[in-house]
Amino acid sequence: MKKFISKIFVFIIFSGLFYIIFLFFWGSCMPSIFKPNINYTIGSYGHLYSRLDEVKNKKNIDILFLGSSHAYRGFDTRIFSEYNFESFNLGSSNQTPIQTKILLNRYLDQLNPKVVVYEVYPHSFMVDGVESSVDIIANDKNDLLSLKMAFKINNIKTYNTFIYGFIRDCLGLNKKFTESTKKGRDTYVSGGFVEKKIGYFKPREFEKKTIDLKQVQLESFSEIISELKKKNIKIILIYAPIPRANYNSYSNNIYFDKLMSDYAEYYNFNEIMKLNDSLHFYDADHLNKNGVSLFNKKLIEVLKNKE
Amino acid sequence: MRQILWGFFKKIVIADNCAEFANQIFNNSTNMNSSALILGAFFFAFQIYGDFSGYSDIAIGTSRLFGIHLMKNFAFPYFSRDIAEFWRRWHISLSTWFRDYLYIPLGGSRGNILMKIRNTFIIFIISGFWHGANWTFIIWGALNAVYFLPLLLTNKNRDNLEIVAQEKYLPTVKEFLSMSVTFILIIISWIFFRAENIKAALNYLFRIFSFSFFTIPKFIKTDKALVIIILIAFFIIIEWQGREKEYAMESFGQKWRRPFRWLFYSFIIFLIGIFMPSAESPFIYFQF
Repeated sequence: MKKFISKIFVFIIFSGLFYIIFLFFWGSCMPSIFKPNINYTIGSYGHLYSRLDEVKNKKNIDILFLGSSHAYRGFDTRIFSEYNFESFNLGSSNQTPIQTKILLNRYLDQLNPKVVVYEVYPHSFMVDGVESSVDIIANDKNDLLSLKMAFKINNIKTYNTFIYGFIRDCLGLNKKFTESTKKGRDTYVSGGFVEKKIGYFKPREFEKKTIDLKQVQLESFSEIISELKKKNIKIILIYAPIPRANYNSYSNNIYFDKLMSDYAEYYNFNEIMKLNDSLHFYDADHLNKNGVSLFNKKLIEVLKNKE
Repeated sequence: MRQILWGFFKKIVIADNCAEFANQIFNNSTNMNSSALILGAFFFAFQIYGDFSGYSDIAIGTSRLFGIHLMKNFAFPYFSRDIAEFWRRWHISLSTWFRDYLYIPLGGSRGNILMKIRNTFIIFIISGFWHGANWTFIIWGALNAVYFLPLLLTNKNRDNLEIVAQEKYLPTVKEFLSMSVTFILIIISWIFFRAENIKAALNYLFRIFSFSFFTIPKFIKTDKALVIIILIAFFIIIEWQGREKEYAMESFGQKWRRPFRWLFYSFIIFLIGIFMPSAESPFIYFQF
């Protein structure tokens, strides 16, 4: 029995080492269809690499924006500068509270914002966070916080991508990487905003859905709010505008509004503003340039009134 | 431990990945071309085998760790040369129970031709009914009875009792053809097993025999399906080399030095880690 247990123990160490080493070679050499559970894309869609590269040199700002693509495509830091708000946009694709937490742990103290504007999109609370976690792993450093995030998400894709990313970091393979500010129709704007070349959404019908939030995301969200409150940072929660047809497809928006209001000061801009689905959006989720301008000015008005 | 590991590979890598395509194709069968439907049935055949035999391997292996010896439940059924052999190798625990407590008390293969036909249909139809109160399972059972009867009536149902291509690397052409025909018949019966209802199963079958038979399969993620086919090929090779044993990996690499053997086991673990689908997938047989 003793021999059996010790043999198993040695085998676990052996196969663990094999797994880590082979994963790195497999991840480096194989085409993507052969590695469905390693999703490492440095310089991915959404310019997260540029954003995280820039944030390292930012200090003492007025407003920090957090959230999903609605945040980094919805809060134009240039508009806020015009109104004398120094801001930074730390949004990332499909960012769930689990990822928001890790980004805050890394950059909050250094940014030292007076206000945190947190874009809360129901979908970000309804997903497991795998997509966003691998985005952060590939485009930011990998440390104990990343490992903690991986454990919280507990998905093989996040674990594998973390192992692969960690080895790449250790070997310094990303040092020479630079991300172009222009990618397709997207342009990265200093301050974290991503501007999309003007486009117009062709309205369509949306399948009816219900907001069903994941407990694990709500727990992380709760921890974020507590942490910010502890540091005396003003929190404003924002449900950014989405096309009316998409917004109305959620059957229980009132529930979401009520829940968010319980956490902090909350504004649902889908109720505050009446935007046009085709004139102010470029797809089923995101505001176009015209929409961003209207939304940001309205938000600034709200912020000014609160001052 | 090897048996548990192989069971996990069957369930997670083979069954769960095949399920993605089998579900996609069966759920949209009216929009699929013939070649895609054939692939859908092929994927389902490996889904159900990987799922159930994987589950059995995990259970048997775990029991053995505690000194409990459970009976073998699958004996490489897709290497069968006829339907009778298939049923001696598929879900052995259930087949044995039906044989001992139903077929033999009914008279088994004794008596006149009509008795033999009656007993065969009863046992197969009840076996289908055991899977669920749906006509698809009844037809699946009846179809297997139809497959089985010619062998029984010509006394050929016990022709292939030994393991195929024993002590040889490859089967003979005749053996290969017999295995292929049996596999195709089994796949046809699985269509009834998987379909929502009889109409859907018949539609599925009729659509297979259409002009799109020779066209390239059209469904979502065909490139991923190709990877799954490569994994199935790897799976078949390991199963084939171990077909004379209790389970496929029982003797695989036994003559190798330990580090090489462990490398192979680690590679299996690695494949599980790389190809495990993100979404959880319960065992099919949990519903029966």
